[in-house]
Amino acid sequence: MTDTKSVRIERTFDAPIDLIWAMWTEPEHFANWYGPMGATIPKADMDVRVGGARHIAMEMETPGGSMQMYFVGEYVEVDPTTRLVYTEHMADADGNVMTAEQVGMPEGAPTETSVIVELESLGDRTAMTLTHVGVPADSPGAQGWTMAIDKLDARLASLRS
Amino acid sequence: MTTLNTTLEESRLDETFAALANSTRRAILARLASGEATVNELAAPFDLTLPAISKHIKVLERAGLVSRSRRAQSRPCTIDATPLADVAGWTDQYRHIWDDRFDRMDDYVRTLQPTDTDTANDKEATHD
Repeated sequence: MTDTKSVRIERTFDAPIDLIWAMWTEPEHFANWYGPMGATIPKADMDVRVGGARHIAMEMETPGGSMQMYFVGEYVEVDPTTRLVYTEHMADADGNVMTAEQVGMPEGAPTETSVIVELESLGDRTAMTLTHVGVPADSPGAQGWTMAIDKLDARLASLRS
Repeated sequence: MTTLNTTLEESRLDETFAALANSTRRAILARLASGEATVNELAAPFDLTLPAISKHIKVLERAGLVSRSRRAQSRPCTIDATPLADVAGWTDQYRHIWDDRFDRMDDYVRTLQPTDTDTANDKEATHD
């Protein structure tokens, strides 16, 4: 349970590679699809160059009222239009990286992950491979905890929308 | 054997999800994540009666998310995160979120592109 885990997803879109690249790199496009079920993206600051910062705000309606979550990170690799790599951490509204305890999660819950996007042009279509790499947590139990709460809040939000 | 295990696993997941599908119970778990607490302590932030809080705690106990010590009369509650780890293995969680996002990306890129209808009609016109 302590090894790094990753999610890999392959999809093909009916759109040229430039447009799919823009989905990831232009805030107005990004905000249209990125939020999970029932969430909106009120803020997406993206300085898309190596070492550039990203700062994303996500807003979800939950039974307890609206909940904001913030994510910050850095672009690690930017090869238009074929490869994008960035890191992601949970953060506060000002973009300060938060520890697990600060966001109300048990000590040791992961707050950093890496996202790798690879695009391949198929003419009018684009093949995309997404790899989301999780940094291992000290406590696997705590790790599931963070995600379960997120998932449920999102699920509930989507059921009520 | 596998089927039985799968079935047991599924029903346990159902129970965990049901227990978590309530904001009071999630708040109780969030409180317990920072250390054990008695029923009285857990009830304090809520505008609920003690029996109502006890009922929520029983649901969490049945789902294996909370256990209660017998060593003191106050029987403090502690959190057990194991079922949560099962509910949301990191990869399953994110796979679901990304799949959902990409469905939306798919819909969205379609709205941005000129429909093929016009060009298709033109082509048909030239064939005629």
